[in-house]
Amino acid sequence: MAGIIDLILSIIFYPPIYQLVLVGLTGSLVVVIFIIWFERKATARVQRRLGPYHIAPRLAGLPQLVADLIRYAFQEVIIPRTADRELFVLAPIVATVLSILPIAVVPLTSNPAYWPIPMDYSILVALALTTVSPIFLIVAGWASNNKFSIIGGVREAFVITAYEMIAIMSILSASAAVLTFNLVEIVEAQRIWYILLNPIAFLAAFLSVLMATSGFPFEIPESENEVVAGPFTEYSGLLYGLNMGAAYMKRFAFSILMVLVFLGGWSPYTPGEGILSGYLIPSLIVVAKAAILMMIFSLTRSIYGRFRLDQALEGAWRLVFPMAVLGFGLALLEAYLGVM
Amino acid sequence: MPARPVVKRLPARRGLFAGFKGNVDAITIGLKYLVDPKRITLIYPNEYIKLDPGYRGFIVLEPKKCINCSSCARICPAAAMRMIRRMEEDPKTGKKKMKLWPVINYQRCIFCGYCVDVCPTEALYTVPYHDIVYENMAEMDWGLETFVKPPEYPTAKEGIPVKYIVDEEKGLVKVRAEEGEEE
Repeated sequence: MAGIIDLILSIIFYPPIYQLVLVGLTGSLVVVIFIIWFERKATARVQRRLGPYHIAPRLAGLPQLVADLIRYAFQEVIIPRTADRELFVLAPIVATVLSILPIAVVPLTSNPAYWPIPMDYSILVALALTTVSPIFLIVAGWASNNKFSIIGGVREAFVITAYEMIAIMSILSASAAVLTFNLVEIVEAQRIWYILLNPIAFLAAFLSVLMATSGFPFEIPESENEVVAGPFTEYSGLLYGLNMGAAYMKRFAFSILMVLVFLGGWSPYTPGEGILSGYLIPSLIVVAKAAILMMIFSLTRSIYGRFRLDQALEGAWRLVFPMAVLGFGLALLEAYLGVM
Repeated sequence: MPARPVVKRLPARRGLFAGFKGNVDAITIGLKYLVDPKRITLIYPNEYIKLDPGYRGFIVLEPKKCINCSSCARICPAAAMRMIRRMEEDPKTGKKKMKLWPVINYQRCIFCGYCVDVCPTEALYTVPYHDIVYENMAEMDWGLETFVKPPEYPTAKEGIPVKYIVDEEKGLVKVRAEEGEEE
C-alpha cells in the first residue's frame, strides 16, 4: 500500500509532469480564474461599481468566472468558411501550450533532485521559450481571413518587436549581475532581493511583460473599440477562451520568471530534503508570489487608458529600451563591485 | 471654393520624464479608490431610489372630486386618457343618467403629467413611483376600478429606500432615504 502511494507520489512529483501539468496547467488555470476575478473587482472598486456580485454575494461573485468558463466550454465553435481551417483550430491551442512551456524549465526548488532540466543555462531556455508563442497569435489572425484579425495580428507583430528585446535584456541583467545563466544560482545569490538592487531593470521588465500579454496601457492588438477583438475576432466558444486564457497564462509564466529573478524565488524558505519540504512548499511560495505580482499587473487595467500603437512603440523604444540598457549597465556595475 | 490646405505640425516634444508626475498621480488615485471605494451602484431589487412627492409617476383618480369635464382626455398628447360612458343614479333626484369617467391606458402614457396639471378640481394626482411590471399588455389598460386607487408597489416591500445626494467632498453619495445616514 505504501509502495503504491510512493509510486503515485513519485509520478505526480516527477518534475516535468509536476511543473507542466500541476503548476503549469492546473495551477495557472486556478491562478488565472482568481486573477480575472480580482481584475474585475479591483476595476469595479476604482470605477465606483460593484463588479461581479449577484451569482454569490457572500463570495463577492467569485463563481462568476467558473460559470464563464463552463459557458465557454459548451458554446458552439464556429469556424468561418473562408478561414484556413487547420491553422484556425491549431493556432490558439499551440499558443496556449507554448505560453505555459517556460514554467516547465524553471527551477521551483534548490534541491537538485527536483529540477526538471539541468539548470546551467535555464534562464536562457526559459526566455527563449517565452518568445515562441506570440507567433501563433499572428498565425491566428492570418488564418481567420478577416480584416480586423489581420490588423490585430500586425499590431501584435509590431508590439513583439518592441517588447521582446526589453524583456530579455532586463531579465538577463540579473544573470549579468551574478555572472551565471543558472536560475538556481541567481535565486540563491539574492540575499537582498534583486528588485531592490536594480529597480530600473524591474520596471523595464514589468512594462515589457505588460506589453507582451496585452496588459492595459498596451492592450493594442485586441483593443475592442478599434479592431473588434484583434486576432480573436472570428473565434468563439472554447477556442476564444483558450485565446484569452493564453495571454494570462503567458503572464503567469513571465510572473514566475520575474519572481525567480527579481523577487527572491522561494526566498524566506530554505528547501530541504523530501517531496514536501524540498519541492511542494518552495513551489507554492513561488506560485503565491507570482499571483501577487499578477495582481499588481492587473491593477493597471483600472488606472490606465490605452496607448495608440505609435505611442506605445515610441514609449517602448525611447523610454523603456534605454531603461533596460541602463538596468543592464547597473547590473554590470554591481557585478564589478561585487554587490551580489 | 476649394479647401485650403493646412500644414499640420507635430507638437513640440516634451522631455523624457514629462509624463512622470501624471503617472504617479493616476496610480495614487487608483490605489486610493481601491483601498476606499466610494461605490454608487444601486443594487436594484434590494434597493430602490425613493423619489420625492410631486414626481410624475403613476396617475390616480379621486372620483369624488371629478366633475366629468374630460379636459384630461382632451389634453393628453399620447391619447392614453380616454372617457368612458357609464349609467349612474343621481343621488339627489334618483334618476338614471349617463356620466363620463376618465380611464388611462399605460401602454400609451408618457408620464407627462398634463392631465394632472389641467384638472380644474385636482381630482387627479401622481404617486412617486413608476417601476411596476405587468404580465401582459391588457393589464396595462386600466379600467375605472383600478384607476381610483394607487397601484401596489412591490419593490417598496422588499427593498431599502435610498437617495443620491451630492456631497461637496465626495461627489455623488448614496444614502439611506429614511434616516438620512450614510451607508
